[in-house]
Order: sequence, then structure tokens, then C-alpha cells
Amino acid sequence: MSWAAHDLEPYAIQRHLGGRVAFVPLLIGSYSPDLLSKWFVYGINVLGVEFKADDPVQFHRGWPGIGFTHSLAYGLLVAGLIWGLSGSRIWAWSFLLGQWAHILTDAGDTIGTMLFFPLTTETFGVGAWAYAGQYGRITDAGAYFSGLGFVWDGVFVIYGLLSWRMLKRKYFHDVIVRADPRFWGWMGRRLPETALLALYRASFFYGTTRWFAWLIWAHLVRDFPLDLSWGGPHWIDAAFD
Amino acid sequence: MREAALYLVAAALYIALGVAFPSLLFSWVEGTAFLLLAVWIIPAYVRRLLR
Repeated sequence: MSWAAHDLEPYAIQRHLGGRVAFVPLLIGSYSPDLLSKWFVYGINVLGVEFKADDPVQFHRGWPGIGFTHSLAYGLLVAGLIWGLSGSRIWAWSFLLGQWAHILTDAGDTIGTMLFFPLTTETFGVGAWAYAGQYGRITDAGAYFSGLGFVWDGVFVIYGLLSWRMLKRKYFHDVIVRADPRFWGWMGRRLPETALLALYRASFFYGTTRWFAWLIWAHLVRDFPLDLSWGGPHWIDAAFD
Repeated sequence: MREAALYLVAAALYIALGVAFPSLLFSWVEGTAFLLLAVWIIPAYVRRLLR
């Protein structure tokens, strides 16, 4: 589970691969494993009725559950569908890279991801930071921003800030639009350039600002103890595979 | 320069709002809507008013 890396990794990948990837499917791929499931992991309240997975960890990362979205094969399957339906190799390849980046990053927590599903339902992870999604969003945020998870996100925040030139108008036109002229041309017929640029920069803005906001909230507003030891923070009873 | 300043102000405001009301930080859609308002819609509206 990651709180900002999924917003920021696509910019780092784009920066390295330039025009060989299309930004929008890269971003969609990066968000795709959690796109439809996160609300059910944390639970939501609709008109007094709570909807939440009985076993959030099993539902999110396991099988039976929706953990197959965190597998290499799921990325290949959806990328194949994108290729088949749209005929765009760059969209398929970019989606795949984004999805794989997501599941490899999530393999950093104490649960890990079912990388090789359906060959095995075993989860693979390095256990660097505690998985605490089962406690709800707020506690999960406090735990995540007190352990090595936020440090991993911080790598991408710093990398992104150092690579600020990729957020410039010129880079947008020379690299982003040129790699995917069909999508940006279609958008450009509906929105002004200022809006297109804002949309391109939106995930960077969202990932970076919330990283700072959550850090401030966790340690200045609230008092979650910082624990940068492996698998921490250990003040929370993390979920393990 | 003016554009960068707008983004920086939007970022500072979003961080401040997020710290005060963490539930604002949960949704990418809300974050993106906030950015569009701050750097596109509101400035365009103000420019129109001043014209």
C-alpha cells in the first residue's frame, strides 16, 4: 500500500523513457490495481449502512478477493485487451508499465502482492513497512507516514521536484503530446491549453502536496510515533502474510 | 513565472486545507478539481471580470 508513489512513479518512468511511453495509460495503469477496491477495504458509510470487506487484507491482496489486480498477469491481460480493442501498442505497453510499477511498490509492505497469480496465490513482499489498511484510512495514514513507506514515497517526491523541467509547457508539447497525439489532440479540441497542462500536472500536484500534508498532520497535528525500522511502525499490529 | 506562482499558491493552500481537514486528501478527483479551479477556472474568471 502506498500513499503517493502511485501518483508520482509515472512521472519518473516518463522522464526515463520519454516518447516511448504515453503518459495517460501509464497513469491509469499505476492507479488500476486499487481503482475499484480501495473504498471497500477501508469501508464507507452510505445512509447509515456500512459497506466494508469482512477481511480487508484478504480482499485487497488475497485470493479469494481482488488481490489478482496486484499480479503481473493482470497487467498483461488488461494491456492485451487495450492493444486488441484500441490497436495502440504504446497505450498497452504504458498501461503495463504503470500497473507493474504499482504492484512492485506494494510488494514493499508486510503483506506483499500476489505477483505470480494465477500460478500461485502466495504473496511476495519485502516487508519494509507495515500494512495497516485494515484499521481504516486515518490510522493507516498515521502508520504509513510513520514508517519506511513515506520514505519510499519521499524518494519520488524529491526525484520529481529535481526533475521539475518535465512539468514545463515545452516538455508537455515536445514529449507528452508527441507520444500520444490522438488523446491530447482530442482533449485539446475540448479544453484550453491551461487546463490540459493542469491535467497533466495534476497527479504530481496531488501526490506531492498530500505527501507533505499527511506528514505534517501525522507528526505536528497528531502525535504518531516515528519508527523507521524495517517493517515498522511497530506500534501498530501490522498485517502479515 | 506567474503560472508557477499560481501552482505554488495552490499547493500551499491545498496542504494547509489537507492538514486541517485530512478527509480532503483522500480523493484524486477532488485534488484535481481543486487544481483546475486554482490555476484555470478562477484565474480565467478573474481575467474576464477585469476586462
